[in-house]
Amino acid sequence: MSEQQRYKLHWISALIEMLKTMKEALLPLVVLIFANGFNGSRSGPWFLQYLSFIIFGVLIIALLISGIIKWKRFVYWFEDDELRIESGLFVKKKRYIPFDRIQSLDYTEGIFHRPFGLVKVKVETAGSSSLKKAEGELTAITKEAAERIEIEMAEAKSRKKEKPVIEGEEAILSDDIQEMVVEEKTPLQKVFKMTTKDLLILATTSGGIGVILSGVAIFMSQFADLIPFEWMYEEISAFIKFGVLIVAIAIFLGLLAVWILSVGMTFLSHYDFTVSLDKEDIVITRGLLEKKRVTVPLKRIQSVVLVENPFRKLFGYASVKIHSAGGGVGESSRINLFPLVKRSQVETHLAEIFPDLHLKEPVNKLTSRGKPFYYRIDFLWMLPVIGALIYFFFPYGLFSLAIIPVIIAFGLWQHRSAAYEIVDHQLIMRFRMFSLQTAYTMKKRIQSMEMKQSYFHRRKDVATITANVKSGIGSFHATVQHMEVEEAEKILEWYEKGKQPSEVAQE
Amino acid sequence: MRAQPANRISKKGLKVWRLYGMIQTIILALVAIGGGVLTYIYEGPWWIYALEAVLLLVIGYLIVILFPKVRWMRWRYEVRESEIELQHGLFIVKRTLIPMVRVQHVDTSQGPILRKYGLAEISISTAATVHTIPALIMDEADDLRGRISVLARVAEDDV
Repeated sequence: MSEQQRYKLHWISALIEMLKTMKEALLPLVVLIFANGFNGSRSGPWFLQYLSFIIFGVLIIALLISGIIKWKRFVYWFEDDELRIESGLFVKKKRYIPFDRIQSLDYTEGIFHRPFGLVKVKVETAGSSSLKKAEGELTAITKEAAERIEIEMAEAKSRKKEKPVIEGEEAILSDDIQEMVVEEKTPLQKVFKMTTKDLLILATTSGGIGVILSGVAIFMSQFADLIPFEWMYEEISAFIKFGVLIVAIAIFLGLLAVWILSVGMTFLSHYDFTVSLDKEDIVITRGLLEKKRVTVPLKRIQSVVLVENPFRKLFGYASVKIHSAGGGVGESSRINLFPLVKRSQVETHLAEIFPDLHLKEPVNKLTSRGKPFYYRIDFLWMLPVIGALIYFFFPYGLFSLAIIPVIIAFGLWQHRSAAYEIVDHQLIMRFRMFSLQTAYTMKKRIQSMEMKQSYFHRRKDVATITANVKSGIGSFHATVQHMEVEEAEKILEWYEKGKQPSEVAQE
Repeated sequence: MRAQPANRISKKGLKVWRLYGMIQTIILALVAIGGGVLTYIYEGPWWIYALEAVLLLVIGYLIVILFPKVRWMRWRYEVRESEIELQHGLFIVKRTLIPMVRVQHVDTSQGPILRKYGLAEISISTAATVHTIPALIMDEADDLRGRISVLARVAEDDV
């Protein structure tokens, strides 16, 4: 291609790069500051007293310089239908990504991007080589520049289709395509949008609270050495004299604050959650402060999973997740398609996106043959625990016996929930961990199937069946446990009947 | 009831597993001897020696004699025109079905012990999972690898 202009990132990317590195090094830095700054020696020359601050300052300057260098050295350009990226000072990295290998471009607008009208662009390819990192990442470019990449990409792809292109015509052709692309931009068919009410319900019922609590715990454990426990002990014993009530209130207030924080975070990250359909792709946009736009090609989707959390089910809500092959989309290979949706509307929304999918409730429930297996295994580890509790805390330990009916009820619940069905070329599997999950998978998306039987299973003619589906660069296992062996074999047989009917057994 | 897959792995595989078991037992024995020495130095009670000896014997029996035998009896595979079927497992028997069109690539590999016995293991990778047949005679493994890679035609758009 004639166009070989090299593009740079926006200068703000130097700052973003610096902050990113700082965020990664934050915890050790804070520890360093606290350890040296407050508990360190109060004597000695001035530079020893302020050593940690000096180190901190030098570090910031060093990071800033490295950020600037990174930005200075980073160029990208389009050549030979490839996106080419070059970066690095001492070790020069060149990365050429062919346009027809690019799965999607994902946009993120952080708080630093917004004032300048910039976006971060992640280039996702089919087999991203490393776990978390995208194949290519442009930290900050203008929206026009991002659009230019898309136009280049569309051009390259259409050029692939109409292969014999004469050099002279190229300019005209590319102009045409540019117009075409602009035209195609408009019919972005909106499929699903979360209302503010939905968003609030999602935020208040989200499990994010656990994450934050554990975060606090980790933070505490990091500082356990620095907290003056002896001093605190005296304070607390004085404090307790005020009464247990105040302590309880304090704890409650602390938890409440954590919860509100989690609600706020979910609210911010899922604000204006919209799913739309763009020809062959699903486009998900979300976020208030940091706007994210993720593209998932439809033909890469391996499995659709309907998740019904019992609490949310009370309010008539469910959520839908999808598993896509390759290109980890930020968080994980599991993409929240509808984080929260009215259960009654799941089918209509999904049918719009996946017209070929049979979205029915699986009707084949499990028979009672496998029932005991759902709670039996739990006793193995529970009985010694209960025994020990009763032995060591004699009268009160007996209360632990109350957990037995709970476990049995839970097992029975799981057994009653499990179901499966085969519709044409599609397998529907329903199983419960705590939330009820229903996985809809096309036969051609199942990579392999497994049937497992333990010794006890064989005695009762029961088996566990698993369908392995690709998800990101890993896999997702849809499992129906302890079903009748005949039924499990039927599923295997359905899976076995491949495209070639001639199954010649070979030695 | 589904028929079991037709082929067994090489009888030599059993020998190799026994050998692995023996190596592990020797390591365990060294640990046990260390324990014995410590007991002697600190004048521990006599039953510690007995316990160590019994444990060593039991574990040795299990991992040298019993487990390899059961594992070998269980291990079966069959490579058909359109799919590969595997069966294996000690306590839990696993049957795995891999359609040929899902196979992405096939590897054979060989450690020093396997090489001495002229064996190789073969790994079949799909997009989501990897399945290994542990001890095949080398020619057979190479042959199988060739056959699978010929039979495996990756269908487009599916992954």
